[in-house]
Amino acid sequence: MASIIDIKEECALHVRNFDFTYKGASAPSLKKITMPIAKNSITALIGPSGCGKTTLLRSFNRMHDLYPGNKYEGEILFDGRNILDPKEDLIHLRTRIGMIFQKPTAFPMSIYDNVAYGMRLQGIKNKTELNDRVEKALKDAAIWKEVSDRLKHDADGLSGGQQQRLCIARAIAVEPEVLLFDEPTSALDPISTQGIEKLIIELKDRVSIIIVTHNMQQAARVSDYTGFMYLGDLIELGYTEELFVTPKEKLTQEYITGKFG
Amino acid sequence: MVDKLFHNLTRISAFLILLIVAWIFVVLFNQSTEAMQTFGLDFITKDEWAPNVDKFGAYAAIFGSVASTFLAMLLAIPVAIGVAIFLSEIAHDKIKGFFGVSVELLAAIPSVIYGMWGLFYFVPILRDLTGGMGIGLLAAGIVLSIMILPFMAAVTRDAMNTTPDILKESAYALGGTQWDVIKDVIIPYAKAGIIGSLILALGRAIGETMAVTFVMGNVHKVPTSILSPTTSIPVTLANEFTEADTSLYFSSLFGLALTLLIMSFVVIAIAKFYFLRKARRA
Amino acid sequence: MTAVQKRIFINKLALIFSTLSAVIALAFLFWILGILVMKGVSALNWNIFIYEGAPPGYAESGLKHALVGQLILVGMATGVGVPLGILAGTYLSEYGKNSKLANTIRDISDIMMSAPSIVIGAFVYAVVVIPMGHFSAWAGAIALGIMMIPIILRTTDDMLQLVPGTLREAAFALGAPKYKVIMDVVYRGAKAGILTGVLLGVARVAGETAPLLFTSFNDNFFTTDLNQAMPSLTVTMFNYATSPYEDWQQLGWAAAFILSMFILGLNILGRLILLTRKKGK
Repeated sequence: MASIIDIKEECALHVRNFDFTYKGASAPSLKKITMPIAKNSITALIGPSGCGKTTLLRSFNRMHDLYPGNKYEGEILFDGRNILDPKEDLIHLRTRIGMIFQKPTAFPMSIYDNVAYGMRLQGIKNKTELNDRVEKALKDAAIWKEVSDRLKHDADGLSGGQQQRLCIARAIAVEPEVLLFDEPTSALDPISTQGIEKLIIELKDRVSIIIVTHNMQQAARVSDYTGFMYLGDLIELGYTEELFVTPKEKLTQEYITGKFG
Repeated sequence: MVDKLFHNLTRISAFLILLIVAWIFVVLFNQSTEAMQTFGLDFITKDEWAPNVDKFGAYAAIFGSVASTFLAMLLAIPVAIGVAIFLSEIAHDKIKGFFGVSVELLAAIPSVIYGMWGLFYFVPILRDLTGGMGIGLLAAGIVLSIMILPFMAAVTRDAMNTTPDILKESAYALGGTQWDVIKDVIIPYAKAGIIGSLILALGRAIGETMAVTFVMGNVHKVPTSILSPTTSIPVTLANEFTEADTSLYFSSLFGLALTLLIMSFVVIAIAKFYFLRKARRA
Repeated sequence: MTAVQKRIFINKLALIFSTLSAVIALAFLFWILGILVMKGVSALNWNIFIYEGAPPGYAESGLKHALVGQLILVGMATGVGVPLGILAGTYLSEYGKNSKLANTIRDISDIMMSAPSIVIGAFVYAVVVIPMGHFSAWAGAIALGIMMIPIILRTTDDMLQLVPGTLREAAFALGAPKYKVIMDVVYRGAKAGILTGVLLGVARVAGETAPLLFTSFNDNFFTTDLNQAMPSLTVTMFNYATSPYEDWQQLGWAAAFILSMFILGLNILGRLILLTRKKGK
């Protein structure tokens, strides 16, 4: 039986009995996941390859819908409703729950246009408003100083770490409530990684963050809560310090001490 | 010893390509010298093509080639892009497979059959619709566009498919629709590949003979309207090569062939070197 | 309408347009194929395989001459194009690799693949037909062979490169000389791909008319003399279909049908080979 901590503070998302089956698969990849995601904090998902942490993350913004044939069962509650409902407006949902990917994914356009993209999608045309919000997003992503003099340049001139910050700026420009990070530093060098981790911690005042990482130390450094997953089950969810020092489940302990994974 | 032999064998075979290509240019050039010396630049600029008085100006054929190809591109490009988008982004698995294979099989149908269909089935319709002869520049342009469509759609789709999934997902994650992703991510990302593919198809279309021979009219005159019967370089070659009776006539035909080869070579080379720089390194 | 609603609307329009294009393209395909099958099948009868060409109006006319001629021409072309193409592709993948020379050869070969086929016919006319003094199967086969080389070269090059380097290294480590590594290990590993490349190359070349127009020319009579003009399905199709004679036109469609089935068959076979190879792995 899983050990899920009872979160007393307000929750941004609530997963209830969530099953996920990939198209054509005989068994679900996620089994009856139940977990709360605390608001304005960082929840890390860790576990060995194939445990389903990325599958779970991509369910929050219904990324799986891009590839027809997958099946959701159960509920994910956000803003008082179940976002797994087929009638859910996905375009709107994705402006409230944003995502950062494993590799920096700057669009083939200028730095300015990248950050403004999400806002333009929403119909914001006013030049002043766009300028202000682009500047704010770049500042919040701690990259304004480096790019303020070349906003109209193409984004592909930036380094990997800078591009990832750009993607973060792009995501926060639309002022989402939740940000999903899918192994955001796995393609970056240690110094850039440090910078991104620092940034993520700063961001939690404004957004609720869920981060998938295969790097346990990163989870320990960055997150408030940590969930350990194994073969499609959520084994344990608890305060990060507690989970890493005194895990309640044997499996968790074995993973943390490197017995497998 | 055998090792060296094998090595040399392969090396010679590979060099053969370069040799043959160079040889083709040399031969065509040599054979056309008589025409070039007789007419000079007039060969390309004058449109009087009169075998009976041994006077040859290729302008009409060149014009016909360019005009029919241009018309074909005009018609084929939007449809090809639409099909490419359909194949790479919209169709679900089973449909994608069926359509994809259909498109590639279509591309394998010999072009002479497009010509036959064009002559017997399309031209009468055109005749009724336009009141003209049916045969002419328009018919050639349309038949050519249908013939080049599968190839164009297939290579454009391949170009679009090079877009990395996570780039597309990033746009969806911001609330983009499929069209947003196509317009803002895929097309800019694959821009070079898409344009290169279209130009490559153009290079092929310019050299097309059999699809248009049936429906072009074989009239060696610059077309006065889109319905005029006219000719193109390949059509002229196909129809007149075996009729040529003087050495100047032959030389002029070779001049046409050389002109065509250069036009096609340049277009394809532009597509290849400027737009389609694929990383093909193992 | 809000901006978001507008976007969703435009999205729907775009999807409709592109689906429409696909439907239009498919409609033309089915139209052409449908006619091909309809006219071709209705023109089919045993006479086609028994009789050679005859003046219009004769009951005993068929396509035997063209069928056999086509086989001879394509067969000869394959005999020329396949070995040269495979050897050249082998050079590129195994010896030349990434050198400037090898890449130049690759680029030139690619360009040749899309170059006008009628020009190759003119070239062969000048270097084979004129010296020989007459049309011949040799000339036609050489023209088709020249067209086949770039196709086979490219597929062989690509397929050989797919064989993992570690496989080669293992063979070398056992002391095998390079040519043996290539013949015993690399060729074996790429067998299916090379075969598919050959099939597709043959299919492509079998449908060509233009390069034959003034090399092997054409004939209404059955012949196996390689030194004479050789009838072919493609040129016969062209001649018969553009003639004013009803029965010749019928034969033209029959020829078109037979040829298309042959080519489509080769294409499908080639794809099947690749597919089963993938599944087997």
